[in-house]
Amino acid sequence: MVVRKMKWREFFNGLKEGPKAFGEDISIIINLIILSVVYIIGVGLTSIIAKILGKHFLELKIDKNKESYWMKFQFESRKKEEYYRQF
Amino acid sequence: MYVLGISCFYHDASAALLKDGKIVAAVQEERFTRKKHDISFPKNAIEYCLKNQNISIKDIDHIGFYEKPLLKFERVLYQHLEIFPRSYKTFIKNIPLWFNEKLRVLKIIRKLGYNKSVFFIHHHMTHAASFLLSPFRKAAILTIDGVGEWTTTAYGYGDENEITLLKELQFPSSLGLLYSTITAYLGFSVNNSEYKVMGLSAYGDMNKKTNNYYEKLKQVIDVKIDGSFRLDMSYFGYHYGNKMPSKNLGGLLGGKIRKSNEEITQRHKDIAAALQLITEEVIIKILNFVLEDAYLGPEYSDLEIKNFLDNNLIY
Repeated sequence: MVVRKMKWREFFNGLKEGPKAFGEDISIIINLIILSVVYIIGVGLTSIIAKILGKHFLELKIDKNKESYWMKFQFESRKKEEYYRQF
Repeated sequence: MYVLGISCFYHDASAALLKDGKIVAAVQEERFTRKKHDISFPKNAIEYCLKNQNISIKDIDHIGFYEKPLLKFERVLYQHLEIFPRSYKTFIKNIPLWFNEKLRVLKIIRKLGYNKSVFFIHHHMTHAASFLLSPFRKAAILTIDGVGEWTTTAYGYGDENEITLLKELQFPSSLGLLYSTITAYLGFSVNNSEYKVMGLSAYGDMNKKTNNYYEKLKQVIDVKIDGSFRLDMSYFGYHYGNKMPSKNLGGLLGGKIRKSNEEITQRHKDIAAALQLITEEVIIKILNFVLEDAYLGPEYSDLEIKNFLDNNLIY
């Protein structure tokens, strides 16, 4: 009886392995599709619109006419509450 | 009062424990997991710090995290917006990590059984906070690293237990990332072997007039009189990909990226020397400017500031 139970368990465990590996592959494909859609629609469209409007998110070029590149420190606040925030 | 400091998910995850303002334990996670530069949440390091003082997580009064994750995430998103569509591969690879770990820091901390305050401190403020452990009551403060949230370089001053940061330079212009890029170009590992490049520079030509790469490398960086600088990003790839030097940099320095198993030639040594010369030049310019601009108070005369520099009183 015990031997028969063990054989059934082995049989079902064997069945699990294949679908588990297949599930992992499927999840990779689905994640890739979702992330690609987010990238193309979310990031892509925003980026294209921003470029049309002349907005730049990073300073990528040297500006010889500038006297200094120093900027005012962006996070000046000393209020305790602001340190609870993640931004 | 116990304060626990945590750093993770970038490089060298670690924990430090302070008792009444003094460090009583500090350790990196890699010491327990045996993974070099381990970035994972420092569970073992925290456990070690608590055991060291025979306390539990419930005895901790405050936890400080080494950066503001959402502000950093904003910078990452801006990178993708600016560089679209070249950042596709990096986006697919890195964004899931942000949602699984980096933006869930608070949840992960709460899982430890800690329910009190968690402070998210601006990354360069955490660097500047080393002033609080220095023997000085007043000091000019300069922080330079690869990148925090947006900031790559910042300066200000410390006065008793107050720190004020005045100005900053932002990503992608970074002296740390310039150094890392040349480290990668010379075939060494980034965030690990920068010290090898610094050592290598001593074997190169440290004369600005005779080192062929000094003037070439100066083309990638525009340094103003006050030491502020900006990088020409056409020579770099770290703002959109995992490869730090771009093809342009190879063209400028007259050769491909060195493979780690290739021989180190005089050319590599001279490039390291040129990088070291430029780095030192920029830092000295910034230091001179910072000492003028950051308020040190009337008791600090020019002579004292000169002594300050001559005696290397730089923490």
